[in-house]
Amino acid sequence: MRVAPYVFLTPFILSFVIFMILPIVVALYTSFFQVKRSGLGFGGDNDSVFVGFDNYVQAFANSAFMDSFGRVLLFGIVQVPIMLALSLLLALLFDSAVVKAKRFFQLAVFLPYAVPSVVAALIWGFLYQPRVSPIVEGLADLGVSVDFLGPGTVLWSIANVAVWSVTGVNMIILFSALQTVPREMYEAARLDGASEFRMALQIKLPMIYPALLLTTLFSIIGTLQLFNEPMTMRSVTSNISGSYTPNMAIFNATTLGGNINLGSAMAIILGLATFVLSIVVSVATNRKKGKA
Amino acid sequence: MALPRTRRSISSAIALTAASALLLAGCSSSSGSDSGAVTLEFWGWAPGLETAVETWNDANPDVQVEFFRMTGDDGAKIPPAIDAGTAPDAVQMSVHSLPGHIINNRLIDISEYTDGLAEQFTPSSWKGVEFGDGIYAIPQDSGPTGLMYRSDIFEQYNLTAPATWDEYLETARALKAANPELFIGQFSPNETGFWLEQVWQNEGTFNTIDGDAWTVEVNNEQSQEVAAIWQTLVDEQLVKVVDMWTPEYWAEVNAGTIASINYAAWFPALLAENAGATAGNWSVAPSPTFAGSDAAGETGGSVDVVPTGTENVEQAVEFLTWLNSSDESLDILIEEGGLFPTALAGLDNPKMLTEQEFFGGQVINEVFVDAAKTVPSSWVDGPNYDITQDALKDEFAKVGTGAQTFAEALDAVQALTVKNLTDAGLSVK
Repeated sequence: MRVAPYVFLTPFILSFVIFMILPIVVALYTSFFQVKRSGLGFGGDNDSVFVGFDNYVQAFANSAFMDSFGRVLLFGIVQVPIMLALSLLLALLFDSAVVKAKRFFQLAVFLPYAVPSVVAALIWGFLYQPRVSPIVEGLADLGVSVDFLGPGTVLWSIANVAVWSVTGVNMIILFSALQTVPREMYEAARLDGASEFRMALQIKLPMIYPALLLTTLFSIIGTLQLFNEPMTMRSVTSNISGSYTPNMAIFNATTLGGNINLGSAMAIILGLATFVLSIVVSVATNRKKGKA
Repeated sequence: MALPRTRRSISSAIALTAASALLLAGCSSSSGSDSGAVTLEFWGWAPGLETAVETWNDANPDVQVEFFRMTGDDGAKIPPAIDAGTAPDAVQMSVHSLPGHIINNRLIDISEYTDGLAEQFTPSSWKGVEFGDGIYAIPQDSGPTGLMYRSDIFEQYNLTAPATWDEYLETARALKAANPELFIGQFSPNETGFWLEQVWQNEGTFNTIDGDAWTVEVNNEQSQEVAAIWQTLVDEQLVKVVDMWTPEYWAEVNAGTIASINYAAWFPALLAENAGATAGNWSVAPSPTFAGSDAAGETGGSVDVVPTGTENVEQAVEFLTWLNSSDESLDILIEEGGLFPTALAGLDNPKMLTEQEFFGGQVINEVFVDAAKTVPSSWVDGPNYDITQDALKDEFAKVGTGAQTFAEALDAVQALTVKNLTDAGLSVK
C-alpha cells in the first residue's frame, strides 16, 4: 500500500479536523446546554444543564436575530446580482479587444480587494460622514443633501463598500475562466456572422457557467456572514444596531450577554441556513444548465 | 542489538540536556521559592501606573508587582482568562462590569482584608464595590460631572452658565433664538454615559437588589424625569444629534456648533487633545442640578479586582489598597497620570488643583472635586449591564431619527433587560 499520499495529506487533515470540525462539534454540543442560575445569581455553582432544543427555540423567538436574517437576505438579493453583473461585464470587456492598457485597469479594479475589510469600512465611513466627507460636502455645495448613514440608507452604504471590495476578485476569477474558452469557437462564430455582443451572451457566458456558479455561491456565503463592515461602521453611526447581521447578533449574545450556549445555537442556525441556501442555488443553476 | 557508539552518545546527551532543563525550570519558579518573595501580576490602563508600581517594588522587596499595560481589546481577554485560570493577580476594570463577573464566580470576595477601608473612599464609589456581604473590588477612579462650556460663545450671546436643568432649557432656547446654527449641547445615541450620569444625578439607577431578586429600573420615575428633559431638547432641536468620538463629532466641536458638554472629570483631557482649534475658549461650571438637590452626576469609573484563581490574595489586596489610598501612590497617579481618584485623600490632594490652559487657566478640578462629594449613592449595576447599555444605544438611535420617543425607548430597554435576566434563570421582581 502506498503510504506517501496519506503522509502528505495528514497535516491538512489534522488542521482541518482541529480547527474546523472540532469547533463545530463543540458548538453543537454546547448549544444543547444552559447555565442555570437562580435568585440573584451570586454564589451559584453555574453548572451546565442539558436542555435539549431550548436554545434553538430562544434563538428563533429572538426577533432581532430573525430580522437580521431578513436584512442580509435583502442585502444579498440586491448586492450579489449587481456585483456579479459588474464583475462579468468587466471580465468580458477585458477579454474582448476593446480595452487598452488591460493590465493596468485589471490591477486598478483588483486593488480594493487588497484593502482589509475593516480598513475599507473605516475609509468609506469617513466618506459617508457629514462635515468630514468631500463627497457629502461637495454635494451639499451643489444643493443636494445626502444622508448616507441614515436608517434607510445605511444598509446600501454597506453594500456599496462590499461591491467596491469584491468586484475585482470576482472579475479576475471570471476573466481567468474566459481564458480557458477555446479560441476556435470565436473564429467559428465570427464566420457565422455573430457580433461581439452576441458572442459574449451566447458563447462566453455559457462556457464559464461553472466559474459563475462558484462566484455566486461564495458571494452568498459571504453575504450571510456579513460582519466586518457593519461592525466597523457601527463606530461612526448608531443607525446600525447591535444585531444588524446574524454574526453581529451572535457576537452580541456571546460577548456582551455572556451566553455561549445561545450563541452556539445561533451559530449552528446560521451555518445550516448558509448550507441550505448554497444547495438551493446549486440545484437551481444546475437545472438551468441542464436545460440549456 | 546495541546501538552503534555515536548514536548512543547522542541519545545520552539528549537525555542529560532534558534532565538539566527540567531541573533549571524547577529552580526558576516565580512565587513561593526559597527567598519567600511573592510576585503579583497586575493589568491596568490608567496612565502613571508604571511609576506607582516601581515605587511599590522599591519599598516592598517581598511583594513584587509585574505591571502590564492594557490597550485595545485586552479588556475582552480578561473574562475568558479568569475562566481558564490564567488571569493576572489583580486587574483594573470598569465598575459596571462587577455584578456580571460576580455571578460567573470570577472575582474573589476581599472583605476580610478591607476593614476600615470604606471610610477612605467616597460613599458612592464604595457602594459600587459592595454586593451583599462581600467586597469585590477597590475603587480606583471616577467620573463626576461638570459643565464644560464655550465661555466665548456664552459671552457673545449674553448667556450665563445654567445652575439648574430648567435654566439649561432656557439657555438652550435663548442660544437657538440668537443663532440657529449653534446648539447648547449634543445628543449622542452611542454614548450612554450622558444618559447614565443624569439618571444617577437624579438618584436613579438601572437596577436594584430587593432581597433575593433583582429589579430593573430603566424606565422608573427618575429616568422618566430625565427623559422629559431630553425629549424637549430633541423635539425643539436644541441639541445636535451626532454620534460621539467620530471624526464628524470632533469636526462639529472644532467648528464651534456645540456650545457645552456636560460630562465626566476624565473628559477634559480628551477634549483638549481633539478640539485644539477651540483652545482657551472653554470654562467649567458645576453641572446643572435637579430641583431640590445639589447633587452632580457620575459616569462610574474603574476599580481594581482580584480574580478567582489568585493565590496571594492578602498581598494583592495590600498592594491595591496602597495603590488607591496611600498619599505616596495618589501623588504619582494624580500628577503624572491625571487620575481623578475616588479616595478622599486623593480628592483633597493639592496636586489635583492645577491650572488648565485649555480652559483659560481655570483650576477645573475644583468643580469636579466638589462634584465628587455630592454624587448620590443610588446606583446599582445589574449582571447584564452590557446588554442594557447596547440596547439603550440602539433604542436611542431610533429616538435620534425621530422614530420613537425617549419614553418608548426606555420601555423597550426595560422589557429587553427583564427578559434577558429571566431567560438566564435569575429572579426579577
